[in-house]
Amino acid sequence: MINYIVRRLVLMFPTLIGITLMVFSIMALAPGGVGASLLTRGGDLRPEERAAMEAYINERYGLDKPLPQQYLRWLNNVSPLGFEKVDEGEERFGFKVPDLGMSFAKNRSVTELISEALPITLLLNLLSVPFIYTFSIIMGVYSARYRGSLLDVGLGTTNLALYSLPVIWVGTLFIVFLSSEEYLNWFPTSGLHSLGSNTWTFLPTSSETGFQRGYLLDTFWHLILPLICLSYSSFAFLSKLARTAVLENLQSDYARTARAKGASEASVLWNHVFRNSLLPLITITAGIIPGLLVGSVVVESIFSIDGMGRLVVDSVMVRDREVVLSITLIISILTLISYLIVDICYAIADPRVSYE
Amino acid sequence: MEKRFGPKDFFLFVGLLLVLLSVWLLMFQVDRQWEFIAKVEKQIEEQSKDLSELRRQVLSGRPLNGLNENRGQEANGAWQGFSRLAEIMDQNNYAQGDWIVDAFSVSSPTMTPFVAGDAYAAIIQQLVLDTLATRDPETLEWLPLIATQWSSSTDGLSFTFTIRDGVRFADGEALTAADVEFTYRFLMDSKIAAPRTRAYFNRIESVRASGNKVTFQMNEPYFASFEIIAQMPILAEHVYSEYLESVTKAEVFNSSTNLLFGSGPYRMANANDWLPGQMIELVPNERYWGLLSGTFSKLIFKTITTDTARLTEFKNGDLDVYGARPLEYRDLMDDQAIVERTKNFEYFNPRGGYSYIAWNQLKSGKSTVFADRKVRQAMTYLTDRQRIADEVFLGYAVAANGPFNPLGKQNNKSLPTREYDIEKAKRLLAEAGFLDRDGDGVIESNTGEPFTFELIYPSGSDDYKRMMLLLKDSYVRAGILMEPVPTQWPMVIDALDKKNFDAISLAWTAGFEVDIYQMLHSSQTEPGGDNFMNYKNANFDRLIEQARGEMDEAIRMDHWHRVHEIIWEDQPYTYLMWRKSLVFIDGRFENVKNVRSGINRGGLWRMPLEWYVSAEQQKYNN
Repeated sequence: MINYIVRRLVLMFPTLIGITLMVFSIMALAPGGVGASLLTRGGDLRPEERAAMEAYINERYGLDKPLPQQYLRWLNNVSPLGFEKVDEGEERFGFKVPDLGMSFAKNRSVTELISEALPITLLLNLLSVPFIYTFSIIMGVYSARYRGSLLDVGLGTTNLALYSLPVIWVGTLFIVFLSSEEYLNWFPTSGLHSLGSNTWTFLPTSSETGFQRGYLLDTFWHLILPLICLSYSSFAFLSKLARTAVLENLQSDYARTARAKGASEASVLWNHVFRNSLLPLITITAGIIPGLLVGSVVVESIFSIDGMGRLVVDSVMVRDREVVLSITLIISILTLISYLIVDICYAIADPRVSYE
Repeated sequence: MEKRFGPKDFFLFVGLLLVLLSVWLLMFQVDRQWEFIAKVEKQIEEQSKDLSELRRQVLSGRPLNGLNENRGQEANGAWQGFSRLAEIMDQNNYAQGDWIVDAFSVSSPTMTPFVAGDAYAAIIQQLVLDTLATRDPETLEWLPLIATQWSSSTDGLSFTFTIRDGVRFADGEALTAADVEFTYRFLMDSKIAAPRTRAYFNRIESVRASGNKVTFQMNEPYFASFEIIAQMPILAEHVYSEYLESVTKAEVFNSSTNLLFGSGPYRMANANDWLPGQMIELVPNERYWGLLSGTFSKLIFKTITTDTARLTEFKNGDLDVYGARPLEYRDLMDDQAIVERTKNFEYFNPRGGYSYIAWNQLKSGKSTVFADRKVRQAMTYLTDRQRIADEVFLGYAVAANGPFNPLGKQNNKSLPTREYDIEKAKRLLAEAGFLDRDGDGVIESNTGEPFTFELIYPSGSDDYKRMMLLLKDSYVRAGILMEPVPTQWPMVIDALDKKNFDAISLAWTAGFEVDIYQMLHSSQTEPGGDNFMNYKNANFDRLIEQARGEMDEAIRMDHWHRVHEIIWEDQPYTYLMWRKSLVFIDGRFENVKNVRSGINRGGLWRMPLEWYVSAEQQKYNN
């Protein structure tokens, strides 16, 4: 087992290099390539500024160097083992702190950009994922339990309908109908905080001037519409999966045995069948960990939230190489690790699986 | 018996989690209170410093209000910059207070001066930083601001400014001539990421401060020298000098998001912890030296990325300013609720710029059909700009006749706009050798090549797409087949760099007096230049050079007018449109009006905010 884990870990390095090299090459070889001109030919600049900007950015970030050299330099910067500049021009080989580099479009360090966007995306995902799973599983179990009934058909149809609604349309409808004074002004239209909420107390308070919802509640109020948009389309897939799993187990021999020995139908469902049906869902959960970092660009754009989705798409648009490569790298590492964990869990859960 | 995880355990766990969570939240709350107290403490400290300064002045027996005393004496001098504001303050419903809530459509990556490059950051910086002089929005004349007066040598190589006495930065430190000199040193330092500003300031040879005077020495006469100097934002040496100490320190500045500090009428309330994407809050700078630190007690700038959300907020009354696209503007004008509650404005934004089609004259080493001037003139006759303005932009645009702002002096008004004229175009094409020789409806050259070409335009805009279809229709009437090619931005750049396109449609920003050297001078056909259509005219080159070096405005305008004539004759571009800005502004604001430079809200340069809200109309009260 140890052997296997070590082998898998060592194999991760060529895989990561392969992934990043591919992303790098696609960006560099696409028509237009990676370069300062993408930033500076926009309408905002006067011609004389443009030329100066372009020369400066190319020089500063080495965008005019040969491509292999650019890639190797990036690889050296992100790897914990490599050359490091010490003082005036001297270089030293050894362990160092990995550096994700600077975004040339935003002129800021990639680490900072990610550390600003990531908490927002994590907040959205950590709230929506449990919500999606809980509801989907409950719906799936009841659909299986009352298979063929109006409930089953109704839930199936509704979920499929929700799945088919494009988020961009639903989000816009939400804003127009639920946030507008013309119809129902129940929710805020954009952002995560109200005007002036930074001077409020954190928790809700009530004083003689009346109730004030506080910073925390205000944030949740702003999160409701984005969360609904993030979740509604995921119900269909997960609840169908749960339904199939429960259904299969309900017809199995052990469920029949349980019924035969006099267990109530509820006990059969929740104590016997339910636990066994969770296995396929747990397999899927492995994909969630890297998925938590990935934002939804559509939802973020509609509700003006600066999360990972927007960061990635904005960066891809101007081919902001450092940002795109760094995020690719982080997500690849997490994906590879979670696959490894899943494989190990299989071996632990199922004695028939062995990696010797 | 085996202990199983039951509902009781579940509730226990959830309860425990809740207790932990609330403890954590409480700790968070206390932390926020501490931060708040720290801020208040800092404010008190600054105020007590002011107080002791004040006490010292009172004891010394000097007049306290030096600036206001001068007000009467300098009616035509130093206070000119505020004369419009002074008039407004005399209105009987004038009141201070209330907020302006505006929204940007993209979040600016940084507010730090010289590093920030976008238009939104420029709006904020104009309110926080001071410049030596500003322009009157109506007459466009220069008015003194930080400089009380100035003089220049006759050769246009040296400018001397006298710095106003008694100007203070937002922290109470005095602004001196040394700060002006420092700003120049700061932005010219190669460690600072200010290449865009340096592109202009490279023309300055040296800046010297002595006493209350600063002298700028230029290395060549250049018509825009004064404008460049007058609009330099002045930084505080005591705040910014530390960033020049080392490369590491300079990097801190370069990658900062909020190092914005100055002597202007407003300051950023959350300057130390502002991050991109967050709301920008400007509050009056209590130590402002001018007539009034700010009519409004807050200026709020949110970021709202979707048009629908922005419009909804505006309709809800949560936004005070809304810029609309033509179609939207017309729809909103039909909305009774909007019309009653708001005022609407249509104006030309001097920075708005113009769109054009560039005709490539040299493609992969061979002359194209557009190398012939007659063909380019014919193309302009065929480009039905009036129809585009009416049908695509619903009348909120005018046909462009050249690169010069129609409202500025640079524009040669004697040149007529070439109207749509298919007969003239056909005649010109025939003279250039293009005739329909085989009767298939498409004209051919002497060698039998049919006249077809591709027109590249940036994809993503509906207005552009409709414009291109209209053009295709216009050109085919004269037997020219044009294929519109919507192109992703990186590919547009690629085409420009390789110069392997037939024609391309793009836009440039503008101003009241612009330099067109970079886009039309023949030296700029080299890589790095913007003469990507290979336009060359020696006579034109000489005239541009003369105009740029001429300091006498009358003579220079004469040169520009001749430059314009050549452009009109040669048609290196077909100039398309100057588009109008269409804006709705909440009705509670008084004195919002059109001025020559657009709308009286600043834009190209710093100006005091002239709007106000009468006491009974005020909406926000702190």
